[in-house]
Amino acid sequence: MIGSGIKRGTAELAVLSVLQDGPLHGYELARRIEQQTNGALRFTLAALYPMLYRMEQQRWIRGTWETSANGRRRRCYRLTPAGKKKLSPLQREWAELFRALQRLTKAAHA
Amino acid sequence: MPDWQKLVRERLSGLALDPREKEEVRAELAAHLEESYEALLKENVPEQAAVCAALFQVTDWRDLQRRIFDAKKKGHIMTKRLHQLWIPGFLTMGLSIVFLVTLQKLGFNARIVSWRDSDIFFYAPWLVSLPFLGALGAYISSRAGGSRGTALLASIFPALALTLTFLLMFPIDMIIEPIIGRQVDFKIVAAALLKDGIGWMLFPGVALLVGGFFVQLFFGHPLSSRDTTIGSETTHA
Repeated sequence: MIGSGIKRGTAELAVLSVLQDGPLHGYELARRIEQQTNGALRFTLAALYPMLYRMEQQRWIRGTWETSANGRRRRCYRLTPAGKKKLSPLQREWAELFRALQRLTKAAHA
Repeated sequence: MPDWQKLVRERLSGLALDPREKEEVRAELAAHLEESYEALLKENVPEQAAVCAALFQVTDWRDLQRRIFDAKKKGHIMTKRLHQLWIPGFLTMGLSIVFLVTLQKLGFNARIVSWRDSDIFFYAPWLVSLPFLGALGAYISSRAGGSRGTALLASIFPALALTLTFLLMFPIDMIIEPIIGRQVDFKIVAAALLKDGIGWMLFPGVALLVGGFFVQLFFGHPLSSRDTTIGSETTHA
C-alpha cells in the first residue's frame, strides 16, 4: 500500500507540474492530469480541493476568480514563485526515487 | 439540471469558515460538480446517472468538510498564533530580562521590604520599565491583528512564564529533596512562594498589564469571538 506521504508528494508534483504550463481551474486541472498521465492519476473533487487549499496556504499556488468566455466564474490557480522554486527539487527527488526503484526491480528480475 | 450550489450548501452546512470564504468554497465545488456532470452528459450518460456519478466523487461530505477546514485554517492559525502571541510575548520577556540584568550590572540592587517575617524583593527601576514593555508586547500583538485578550496575554507573557516556572519548580523540588535525604519544611516553601510570587510575579504582572491596558485604549480591537479563535477554531470542523 502506498503511504499517505508518497501519495501527497506525487499529487503535489502533478499539480505543480501541470500548472507550470499556465493557470487552470480545479476541474480543468484534474482533467489535464488525468489526460497527461493516461488515466494513471485521477483526482476526484474530494481529493483535489483540500490539496489545492493546502498548497495555497503554503503559497505554492494562488487562486483568483475569473470569468470565462461563456460568463462562468471559475477559480483559476497559478503557480507562484515559491511554487516554481518548490517544483524543481521535487522533480529531482521523484526522478531519483523512480530510478532507484527501477534499479531495484531490475536487480530483482536479474 | 440540479441546483449544484444548493446541493453543496446542504452538504457543507457545517463548514466553519468565514462567510465569504465558505461561499467561495461552495461556489468552487459546485462549479466542479457542474462541469463533471456536463462532461458526463456529453458522453451520453443519462441525466440521473450523471448526477449520481458527479456526486459520487465525494463519498463522505463530513470528512471533506473537515479536510477543507484543516487545509484552509491550520497554517493560518499557526501563523496567527506566532505573530499575535509568541513573537510579542517572547520579545517582551527577552527585553525585560535584558533590562533586569543590565540594571543589576549597573549596580541597581533590589530593595528589600520586610513583610510578616519575609523579605520581598523589589527592583523599582525594573518595575517602572515593565509597563512600557507590556505596552510594546500588546502593541505588536494588536498590529498583527491580535484580539484584546491575545494582546493582553502577550503583554503579561513574562509574568506568566515566570509563574509557570515557579509552579513547576516547587513540586519538583518537593519530590527531589526527600529523595536526596533532606526534610522539606512546607512553611518555608509556602513563605518562599509567597515572597517570590509577590516580588517576581504579582507586581511585575500588574505593571506589564497596565502597559497592555494602556495600549488597548488606543490601538485595541474590540472584544469579540475572535478572542477565542486561537484555542477553539480547530474544534469546529
